[in-house]
Amino acid sequence: MQNTNLDSILESRRSQPHQLIEVLQDIQEQHGYISEETMATVSEELGVPLMDVYSVASFYKSFSLKPRGKNVITICTGTACHVRGAKLIVNQANAQLDVAPGETTDDGQFTIEHVNCVGACALAPVVTENGSYHHHMDSGKLRKLIKSLESKDTEENSND
Amino acid sequence: MTQQVTLNIDGALIRAAKGTSVLDAALDFGICIPHLCHVSNIEDIGSCRLCIVENIVNGRSKITTSCTLLVQDDMMILSNTDKIRRLRHNIAELLVSEAPNSRAMQDIALRCGVEETRYSFRNNDCILCGRCVRACTGEFGVKPLGFVGRGKDRRVEAPFNLRSKLCNECGRCIDLCPMVMPACDGPMETGKERLCGNCESKLSDTDLTLGYCVGCYFGEGIQCQRSPINV
Ligand code: FES
Ligand code: FES
Repeated sequence: MQNTNLDSILESRRSQPHQLIEVLQDIQEQHGYISEETMATVSEELGVPLMDVYSVASFYKSFSLKPRGKNVITICTGTACHVRGAKLIVNQANAQLDVAPGETTDDGQFTIEHVNCVGACALAPVVTENGSYHHHMDSGKLRKLIKSLESKDTEENSND
Repeated sequence: MTQQVTLNIDGALIRAAKGTSVLDAALDFGICIPHLCHVSNIEDIGSCRLCIVENIVNGRSKITTSCTLLVQDDMMILSNTDKIRRLRHNIAELLVSEAPNSRAMQDIALRCGVEETRYSFRNNDCILCGRCVRACTGEFGVKPLGFVGRGKDRRVEAPFNLRSKLCNECGRCIDLCPMVMPACDGPMETGKERLCGNCESKLSDTDLTLGYCVGCYFGEGIQCQRSPINV
């Protein structure tokens, strides 16, 4: 399934090296991460050396080279958020999910990441959860957020 | 015919072909601006910052790396002012504390007047000068080697850290690496790392002939700060 998917992403962009970032973005969005095989395919299809694909993919924080969990929790540790206690939030996430930033829980449910500034400093500290923003976070709020995500998941599972 | 321009480096009027860098023009003339990541005939990326000079524009001085600065008519370049020496001293200090276990780095630090560092030694194996990356041509001009990651995680790697089929084993990356010549055990005794500067590398020969450039080319262009003009 992934291959047909990749085909449609690469469609009409073949042999156009300048499309590299767009293609990687689409892959990231649809697959959740960029695997080594996809990078090799992209390199062949766009005519970009594999080295360059790898450099670009590893340069940007928004590309992930490892499979990510179902829920991605991104904690901002930029200057403003740091000053307003991002550290505590990171600790909370670590303790609650028992994974370090950049890692995924064993059951594949959660990934914690940190970024340097998401551009909403006035709302610091900021946490984004699967793309939606949560402002003025503290460890208590994060605990509730993770709890609610967890219960949502179990609900979905029991419905299946 | 290539166009020629005339510029002023440290008071010397130098003619150089348009498109050459200030660093190249200076070196051709015999003014040794210390540099590390620059390798002649390979594009420059200005990653080591050692080759900084003052470029005087409208009476104001701008500090830039001379390897990435192209010559222009009537340029005024100062490569050896107090300010530059002070800044360069700091850059050399940072570089050597990153990788004191390379003789080239120890020598560069010495030449820039660094006797001790205020930073802790990191004993890295790479200072990210990018010489290997730029010198590598690989098979069919496709590079098997490049920069990966960014910021403090930046490193030189082959894709997925596997030796690539594209490497034609020319060994150029190793020849150009400033890390290949380890400093002797003396300064690098574990736990007692220090800057020494007494290495008997080719560089140190110049110390015997004060103020005179012997045109050494240790590491192909890791140059000393000695120039005929400084005397
Ligand atoms: S520092 Fe967190 S949003 Fe800017
Ligand atoms: S920055 Fe110019 S030689 Fe390294």
